[in-house]
Amino acid sequence: MTDAVVFENVSKRFRGGQAYRALRDDIVGALGRVVGLKRGSEQVVRALDDVSFSIPEGQSFALLGPNGAGKTTALKVASRITYPTSGRVRVRGRVGALIEVGTGMHPELTGRENVDLYGRILGLSRRDVRSRFDEIVEFADIGGALEQPVKQFSSGMQLRLGFALAAHLEPDVLLVDEAIAVGDAGFQYRCVERMRELVQEGRTLVFVSHNMSAIESLCERGVLLDHGRITADGPARDVVRDYLRQVEASLVEEDAARSVTGGGLAIVDVTLHDESGGRVEEAAPGRPLTVRLHFRASSPIDEPIFEVGLNDGRIGPFALASMLIDGQAPRSISGEGYVDCTFADLPLLPRVYELWGGVRHGAGFGDLVDWQRLRFFRVAGEVDGGGPAAVSHSLSNAPVRLPYRWGFGGGVSN
Amino acid sequence: MPVLEVVGGPGRLSRESFAELWHFREVLWAFVVRQVKVRYKQAVVGIGWAIIQPVLAALVFALFLFRYSSVPSEGVPALLFTLAGMTGWTYFSSATALASESLVTNQALLRKIYFPREVLPLSGALAGVLDLLLALGVLVVVTFAYGIGPALSWVALPLPLLLLVVAAAAFGNGLSAINVYYRDVRYALPFVLQLGLFVSPIAYPLSVVPSSWRTIYAILNPVAAATDSLRRIVVHGHWPDFPVLLASIGWSLFLLLCSYAFFKRLERGFSDRV
Repeated sequence: MTDAVVFENVSKRFRGGQAYRALRDDIVGALGRVVGLKRGSEQVVRALDDVSFSIPEGQSFALLGPNGAGKTTALKVASRITYPTSGRVRVRGRVGALIEVGTGMHPELTGRENVDLYGRILGLSRRDVRSRFDEIVEFADIGGALEQPVKQFSSGMQLRLGFALAAHLEPDVLLVDEAIAVGDAGFQYRCVERMRELVQEGRTLVFVSHNMSAIESLCERGVLLDHGRITADGPARDVVRDYLRQVEASLVEEDAARSVTGGGLAIVDVTLHDESGGRVEEAAPGRPLTVRLHFRASSPIDEPIFEVGLNDGRIGPFALASMLIDGQAPRSISGEGYVDCTFADLPLLPRVYELWGGVRHGAGFGDLVDWQRLRFFRVAGEVDGGGPAAVSHSLSNAPVRLPYRWGFGGGVSN
Repeated sequence: MPVLEVVGGPGRLSRESFAELWHFREVLWAFVVRQVKVRYKQAVVGIGWAIIQPVLAALVFALFLFRYSSVPSEGVPALLFTLAGMTGWTYFSSATALASESLVTNQALLRKIYFPREVLPLSGALAGVLDLLLALGVLVVVTFAYGIGPALSWVALPLPLLLLVVAAAAFGNGLSAINVYYRDVRYALPFVLQLGLFVSPIAYPLSVVPSSWRTIYAILNPVAAATDSLRRIVVHGHWPDFPVLLASIGWSLFLLLCSYAFFKRLERGFSDRV
């Protein structure tokens, strides 16, 4: 099988510092070298660092990684907008690219002229472009603005036209960056559908996104980049899982050992315990979990009201244990000790959660310890399921697992 | 299916560069048309600028130089003499300036789409040709007004025009590439062009240059060869000095090739540095 895109030991370095030089700086620099003065250390950013991979024709391929990992640079190199510092990239066939809003468009030209220009740049004949014209305009949904310069378009219109150009002028290889995330939901849906169509027609897709569900459902294979290096390469679902794990791990790590203090009361540690009382670092799904808040009170406190909440990253806890509701506040605490809160049979999906907590004063409910995140914890296990976005969807959506099953009535073929 | 190779390291001028430029000829044309449209759409006097500039400058030179100094004008009316000079010069200086700014002006485009970058400075040099032709039209009208009729030698007119375009492309190409790295070009160029106006035989005849230097000077300074030829052809109705004119065209083509090679060497850094 032939490869549509090949990266061979590609490196791309940017020199940091000023955007452009004045002649004076270079003269001063050259004089400095002659006289033997040390040059100011120049910051070199490695956007890509000896990256090699190949994408077979017809594969749908995803590039993943945190911001600044080099994903966009890789796309720019493949579309010849920028050149590698060393190494070689080979691309077979016509390349359609949507890398940023406005990629491939001349701001001064009208929508219609841009369609022609892009077609010419892709090497299509005027007739080929004409025959695709209506399709492009319909997809871009820009109707009356066709004769206006693109710089007068809203960014949404520019984006739609850009995608329509890249995806409808018969590209053999389609490069799509994050950009589509700017569009509204309806447009994003149409983009993903169009990409799916192209993949089914046997075109090659290189997709960069932070939308893990889109990657998982659209791409066969993924490569994970970090600081310009490849850290994982494999089936998209596995790479998505690896990447999300990595993100979680860095969250948990960053959070190690913090103690929170309030007026006369400190929560010095938060530990997790299983049903036998042994200390654990991960919770077992479907089993009881005890959260132990270790406190130190500088003077006796009457009726402190403890609260513990679970949060999945969205605003507000999705589960709350509060003495304000159950009325089980201790009469008084003093010195050092702990308060246990046990959740029975944790019905949570495997992933990382935030544990929040706070302590209020019994009289008047003023805060002794502000409501805040105390730590992260993981619910152990693997996501199971054969759906098209099983991994990413269950890791980014509703956390609570309720037993359920589907049933079907008339009009459903199954 | 065409295979595209993107290789690291500095680029170089090769046969493929020319093939690619040919492949993108319609893109080049689109940019030329665009620049012409934009220039006149945004100006109140519009296309009139193509005429006003050389005519006013020629008037000023004619008034001051020939009224109050003793510069010879080859025995033709002073206005006609300076207008013939300014016709070529106005094109050369504005085309060179436009071409040298082209990469910086279109930086958004450099970062968003691929095409051979020389398309931009070349389109800058070509976009001025319409102005040049209009100014030439004015020169012809003024020539008639002085009672000088057309001559057979006018068929040689395309040669000095070609020389001017090649020279503007050569300078514009190289300067546009340098401008990406050193914005000093923007400030230095108007000054250098101003000097150029005085070291070229625009407001004085070529015969002012000492005869031992005249030939080599006219060849190496393409504006000198072009201006002198224009004058001989239109104003005097003579044939141009063909050996000098052709040698200067050859020299300018050589310069264009050198600046193209220089441009190709730097081209790959443009989108990162602009």
